[in-house]
Amino acid sequence: MTEDVNPKAIMDFLKPRMGARFKTWVEICTHCGMCADTCHFYLASGKDPKMIPSYKVRFLKDLLKKKGRVDKDYLQQIYNTVYYECNVCRRCTLYCPFGIDIAFLISTMRGMLTSLGIAPEGLKKAVENYKETGNQMAVSKEDWVETIQWCEEETASELLGLTIPIDKKGAKIMYTVNAREPKFYPQDIMEVAKIFTVAGEDWTVPSEKGWDDTNLAMFINDAATARMVVENTFKRAEELGVKQVAITE
Amino acid sequence: MDFSLFAEGPLLWIAFLIFIIGTLIRMAQFIFVARTKDKPFYNYFSMKYILATLARWLLPLNVDVKKNPVFIICVYLFHICLIVVPIWLASHISLWEESRFEWSWSSIPDKWADWMTLLLLAISIFFILRRALSPDLRMITTFADYLLLVVTALPFATGYCLTHGTLDSIGFLGDNMRLFHVLSAELMLILIPFTRLSHSVLFFFSRAATGIEFGRRGYSI
Repeated sequence: MTEDVNPKAIMDFLKPRMGARFKTWVEICTHCGMCADTCHFYLASGKDPKMIPSYKVRFLKDLLKKKGRVDKDYLQQIYNTVYYECNVCRRCTLYCPFGIDIAFLISTMRGMLTSLGIAPEGLKKAVENYKETGNQMAVSKEDWVETIQWCEEETASELLGLTIPIDKKGAKIMYTVNAREPKFYPQDIMEVAKIFTVAGEDWTVPSEKGWDDTNLAMFINDAATARMVVENTFKRAEELGVKQVAITE
Repeated sequence: MDFSLFAEGPLLWIAFLIFIIGTLIRMAQFIFVARTKDKPFYNYFSMKYILATLARWLLPLNVDVKKNPVFIICVYLFHICLIVVPIWLASHISLWEESRFEWSWSSIPDKWADWMTLLLLAISIFFILRRALSPDLRMITTFADYLLLVVTALPFATGYCLTHGTLDSIGFLGDNMRLFHVLSAELMLILIPFTRLSHSVLFFFSRAATGIEFGRRGYSI
């Protein structure tokens, strides 16, 4: 039954995370059903009862009862639910009389799967990229700086006096982007540069890690990497002594 | 010792103690476990959000009232009857007066208690039917949900039969109705700390935690 699944790994992940809220929420749900039609997955699936938020977190109680002794198929079932039947929007919690944070429980299960090496491939790759390069698209520092300089040249011909200041100490705003922008959509950076210029803002972009404001590690509940991503941005902001960090749309 | 004497004596003490100490432990557990494992709870602790969210959900001022008024009104009435009848029933109060505590407080008229009991039983049947008939609820309902509903309704059913002699014609039931009433109430008290009936106290903590978390993010609480 337990092919390749280590029950200890499951429990090692869950146990330290079984806080007061977790324990209470897993236990006190009275299955009143108020969360059912608050879920867009439920509504969009023609009111499929399997999409009721309360039903989606049944795994946790089960995992604790079985002390993590489950098989691959069971983990696959959890995977399908936590990634494809919930996008952690927390709307159900707004309608739960007890305020049970279903999204928190779903996120815990995502983290558990991540700790077992199970996560959507694209996200896994992105997290590796964060660890190696500080951004989700593995854009190197040279590529990033060159892209910015090229964006500046291109746009300066359209708008007189346009510059994209890199690492300007003491600027008011540090601007951060989605790593997809230097990779695929540099025109977004150009548009923003125009807006900042016309608005007369004192802004800058950092050249070092921290310029990617996405945090895909959060989606798979890899807290350590998620923290690193945020810390990079804070580090840059402190180094440059900016007052605000602006993030891309 | 006669079993009914045992049920109304030592067992009653045991049931009350398990209920009181058990719920106190559940509350203490939340408070202490949260200290180490639920940091946001204390880091962002805010009485303002806690009181706001409790007021909103203890009174019918919340979103669910609008969304599903019939069910929610039943839920409110159910809980009001559940708390008011056992505490303010005249014959219960007279037992407290006779007890070693000699506590006394004013009661509600027996007529009210009768109607509230019947109301609670009717709502219990509605809850059970709702669970059994709705495909949504069938999906999430577990056996414990039915069992705990019955456990909660039983002291009221037996209490009504006891005061009105409804089933007195059935020898065994009629003769032992008082015993059944006491036992069913004890069962409910004992189960409160160990089952989802613990929401009687944990509701406040759960709401508080989410009130703080959602309040500080500016969501609706």
